[in-house]
Amino acid sequence: MNEIYFNADAGYLEGIVRGYRDGLITLPQYLNLTQCETMDDLKLQLATTDYASFLQNEPSPMSTSTLSARCTDALVAEFQYLQQNAAEPISKFLDFITYGFMIDNVILLITGTLHERDTHDLLEKCHPLGFFDTMPALCVATTVQDLYSTVLVDSPLAGYFRECLSAEDLNELNIEIIRNTLHKAYLEDFYTYCQGLGEPTASIMAEILMFEADRRTVNITINSFGTELSKDDRAKLYPRLGSMYPEAQTRLARVDDMDQVKAILEQYGDYKTMLSGVGTGASSGGAGGDDMSLEDRFFAREVQLNKDSFEQQFHYGVFYSWLRLKEQEIRNVVWVAECISQQQKDKINNYTPIY
Amino acid sequence: MAAVRDNVFPTRMNLTMTKTRLKGAQTGHSLLKRKSEALTTRFRVIVRKIEDAKLKMGKVMQNASFSLAEVAYITGDISYQVRESAKHATFKVSAKQENVSGVLLPAFEKDTQQAAGGQFELTGLGRGGQQIQKARAVYMKAVEMLVELASLQTAFVILDEVIKLTNRRVNAIEYVIIPRIENTISYINSELDEQDREEFYRLKKIQGKKKERAANAQRELDEIAKPTINDGSLHPDFAGDFTSAESSSAGVRDILAEQVDEDIIF
Repeated sequence: MNEIYFNADAGYLEGIVRGYRDGLITLPQYLNLTQCETMDDLKLQLATTDYASFLQNEPSPMSTSTLSARCTDALVAEFQYLQQNAAEPISKFLDFITYGFMIDNVILLITGTLHERDTHDLLEKCHPLGFFDTMPALCVATTVQDLYSTVLVDSPLAGYFRECLSAEDLNELNIEIIRNTLHKAYLEDFYTYCQGLGEPTASIMAEILMFEADRRTVNITINSFGTELSKDDRAKLYPRLGSMYPEAQTRLARVDDMDQVKAILEQYGDYKTMLSGVGTGASSGGAGGDDMSLEDRFFAREVQLNKDSFEQQFHYGVFYSWLRLKEQEIRNVVWVAECISQQQKDKINNYTPIY
Repeated sequence: MAAVRDNVFPTRMNLTMTKTRLKGAQTGHSLLKRKSEALTTRFRVIVRKIEDAKLKMGKVMQNASFSLAEVAYITGDISYQVRESAKHATFKVSAKQENVSGVLLPAFEKDTQQAAGGQFELTGLGRGGQQIQKARAVYMKAVEMLVELASLQTAFVILDEVIKLTNRRVNAIEYVIIPRIENTISYINSELDEQDREEFYRLKKIQGKKKERAANAQRELDEIAKPTINDGSLHPDFAGDFTSAESSSAGVRDILAEQVDEDIIF
């Protein structure tokens, strides 16, 4: 990547994204939000943020799901603006970001098809960022065979499907395994693509994606304890990248409980501290716990990494980072809203602040 | 009320029967009263349990919906996946009956199949699986509470109904049936007494009549006998004296004659 020519293609968009970043809710604003007593108060407080225009037309008893939907609308609107103004190679990069959402959407539709539901209703449930042109066509297919042979090959995800799964797999495998296989393929592909973009995007994205891969590895390991997922299958779901690949992954594939996971992660400075405060049982999780759960720690680390990517200029990582931060922000706002509407004020501070 | 009584014929047999009925009614009354008391005790226990359960319910449901919020925080919307991956019920409720002093109360029992508990255990594999399992456990507990509350609530309604019914019966027996039977008994008694008195009076009357008739008969006999006696017993010297004081001596003679008569009769 040549810094000299960067601004010719990406300067405007980078400026926009950095502007968006400044629109993220800051800690004092979060403090104000957590002081709210009712959803109306919260709405009033949010009127000073970027979400104002999306929330102002909502009728007064606002549910948290509405709030979540409107915030997502705001995110989508901003992201789509970026996409519309992007040229190669940023547009390709932005497309790559949306593939993750596409996988979730496709999985949703496959689930519907497998259970012979009317998949048209599901289109509304799909994440708007993961919407692609041929997606409504997925609803036409009534059998999984049709879905695979005629429709999925046309979708942007065709490559991942071809590599990892056959049509039979769609019928036989657990839908979650399919999802994780696809995500793994996507992560690896995205990583390879980023490496092709040259410095500094490659190194920044590498850090974020490797963390994402590590998180996936640890999560899959912990969540597969005591399930029907065999250890070989578990190993197959680990993304083939990240700081744990391949040495720690082969060991993680064989562990049976949390203590062993901890022992393996001892070698990694980043994760050593992350796991130290987490209880041994799988039940210790939950954002509502007194101390932070593993997921919370992962979120905090993700936020940190994404914040760091804004410290450098002339790279594409900011787009990805901004999207991740924005997602986290929506989660935070919705969390605060949930706490307010359910009157669980003691847990209201368990969000992950960004700035 | 006081005048209400059974329409029976005041006979001694009916009196005995009514007395048996009274005894039966009293036994029934005490039995029903005891039943009502037993049910009321049970009812109180249930009311207390319902209160506890309802208070706890609020807490548990709050926790449950909050754990769902946690899941939403970590993984987003998983409802569709969970719904579609559920193939058969893992939580079943079976109803059985419990007998509390003759009242059949339905008791619901949960029937969980732990073996099949992991239908969506892979949901959230990549992220948030722990939270999902936790939410699942919390909701499981909430449903258990609901089942418990449901059986308590049904028992509450049924017991309430039965207690009302029993109390109605107890009161009916106490305030309607027993007084009526007692009225009947006293009616029969009074009628019988009346009959006794009538009978007694009749007997007396008959006796009186008999005596009168006997007296009359005697007098007639006397009337017939007097001349003969006079002829036989009285001396001719006295006859002159007696005629002068006839009216006074006639009474004396009457008494004498009666006395004599009586002696003769008996």
